[in-house]
Amino acid sequence: MPEPVLSIRDLTVEFKTEDGIVHAVDGVTYDVFPGETLGIVGESGSGKSVSMLAVLGLIPQPPGRIVKGEAVYKGRDVMEMSKGELRRLRGGDMAMVFQDPMTSLNPVLKVGFQLTEAIQAHNDGVSDAEARKRGVGLLELVGVPNAEQRFDQFPHEFSGGMRQRAMIAMAIANSPSLLIADEPTTALDVTIQAQIIQVLRTAQEETHAATILITHDLGLVAELADRVVVMYGGRIVEKGDVFTIFSKPRHPYTVGLMESLPGLTVGQVGLQPIPGQPPSLISLPPGCAFHPRCSLSNGRVRCRTEIPMLRDTGHPEHISACHFHEELEGYQSKLVSEPVA
Amino acid sequence: MLTFIARRILYSIPVLIATSFLIFAGVSLIGDPLGGLKVNPLASQQTIDHITAEKHLNDPIPVRYGYWVRDAVTHKFGTPLLSNVPIWDDLKRVIPHTLMLVVTAELISLLIGVSIGIYSAIRQYSVFDYAATTFSFLGFAMPVFWLALMAQILFTNLFLAWHVRIFYTSGLSSPDPGTGIHWVLDRAQHLAIPVMVLCVLNLAVYSRFMRASLLEVVNTDYVRTARAKGLTEKRVTMKHAVRNALIPVVTLAALNFGALIGGAIVTEQIFQLDGMGNYFIQNLLNTDIYPIMAWLMVVAVAVIFFNLIADILYGVLDPRVRYD
Repeated sequence: MPEPVLSIRDLTVEFKTEDGIVHAVDGVTYDVFPGETLGIVGESGSGKSVSMLAVLGLIPQPPGRIVKGEAVYKGRDVMEMSKGELRRLRGGDMAMVFQDPMTSLNPVLKVGFQLTEAIQAHNDGVSDAEARKRGVGLLELVGVPNAEQRFDQFPHEFSGGMRQRAMIAMAIANSPSLLIADEPTTALDVTIQAQIIQVLRTAQEETHAATILITHDLGLVAELADRVVVMYGGRIVEKGDVFTIFSKPRHPYTVGLMESLPGLTVGQVGLQPIPGQPPSLISLPPGCAFHPRCSLSNGRVRCRTEIPMLRDTGHPEHISACHFHEELEGYQSKLVSEPVA
Repeated sequence: MLTFIARRILYSIPVLIATSFLIFAGVSLIGDPLGGLKVNPLASQQTIDHITAEKHLNDPIPVRYGYWVRDAVTHKFGTPLLSNVPIWDDLKRVIPHTLMLVVTAELISLLIGVSIGIYSAIRQYSVFDYAATTFSFLGFAMPVFWLALMAQILFTNLFLAWHVRIFYTSGLSSPDPGTGIHWVLDRAQHLAIPVMVLCVLNLAVYSRFMRASLLEVVNTDYVRTARAKGLTEKRVTMKHAVRNALIPVVTLAALNFGALIGGAIVTEQIFQLDGMGNYFIQNLLNTDIYPIMAWLMVVAVAVIFFNLIADILYGVLDPRVRYD
């Protein structure tokens, strides 16, 4: 096993609000290895993005608070770094692509300016002309046509897909070793989504960066990810390689996610959603946070009283936080009637 | 852009006509403009008849308005009812006085107010922020006349106690202000307190506005992006956040400038400054319609002009706004 690029250990993040303390991320542990793509999946408000924002020091404190945990990047705990060190890490070694390209670019500054700014922030003494040349090159790399003209335009002159390309160009400007894509396609049309996925692939090939893909789009995960972390209520509920997760999920929540996907097979009657609502992160249900919606729990006391730990499932590198995941042994997801890419 | 400006100027013509007529009619209906003269035993019936005929006071209001328009266009607003000094000569004197007062106050309060606002926003809920907030609410709540009188009393007493002239408390200049640097110093000593008084309210307005505007901007996605790029905190604030937060503040300031050309009426009264506000009040008390109309036209043109400036500035600051 190679050395991980980033290992997050027992990360816990809280937000203080007027209604109480929001436990956004609770004891999350995972590794990202060089060159791989790790998909983090979960519903809105399951704490997917917050763990990454915490690593980058982008959580506003207050109201946010990193209660405990470490994030070791190349042997050093990011949480212990000084503000200056963390700043140099951001956009340099670790870059992030955000969800909504319509609001993530500064409307009053030219795209080229925002791009070269990222280059010059991490490379002292790069002349404006040089930065411009690199900027135009990056825009070409991510597939912005007429890059030379586009460079001098304002974000409002770009379409959503073009803006997201510009955002990706900005993120890979300094050849990061870790690229974090936070729902990179959520705000885009389906056709544009496919193009952006391609751009992300190119970007990854170009920089050899490890990629963390935060999304609730299982299709995107199947397409891009090597390993998957499933989150629910601020905790990791299942972790494994993408093929195992999609074919033999061992957590009832993951099973629910798979079941709720529309299939291409004939004879399917409607969608099968997971019943109920995602829990409030202020007052999580006691015991297993998923038990009120769980198809496996059946009112068993243990689900209501004891928080399940992540346990081995018997498959290598596949763990699940369900007291009774053995009961899912043998479950085959309908998705794998045709092999997953 | 040029079409936009031309269109705006064309639109403003009917606005000017409508306002001037309404004000003309309103002030004419207040009372008899020659009422004071008629009860004065020293004024002869002949004088009254002469003025009435000369100014067409017996004609209906629309006709009188027509005469006024003619005078305004051809004779630079003509003369007041009871004097032969051309109105324009008076205006030429008072406008620079008001500009000196108001522009100084506005620039100082804009500069300091915006700085306070920025600092308050980036150190939200700090001691400084709370102090600035308290000061702003005091500034909002304090009546200008009260503050002006208190400042006047304070500096008068300081002079009486120490016999050192720091600031003058009344008037625009000494009887013999001298020339060059002496004149500038004398004028500064006279204007210092009125400017300070005007600044208190304006500071409160601008600092609160800037604070609110910046607080809104610092939580936007693009500021987070700027931070995620690894820019220094200073650059994130100044280049990305403040640049955007300034847009509404600059617009507000431009609009304010227009409105302030009318003069700081209360402040000018208390400090006996020979400015636009003072001019307006004196003539309003005399129910002398012609100087009031001239004053109004100057103010209206200034307001329209600065509205236009505000729109143009908005377009310059925000590339998304285009006036084509």
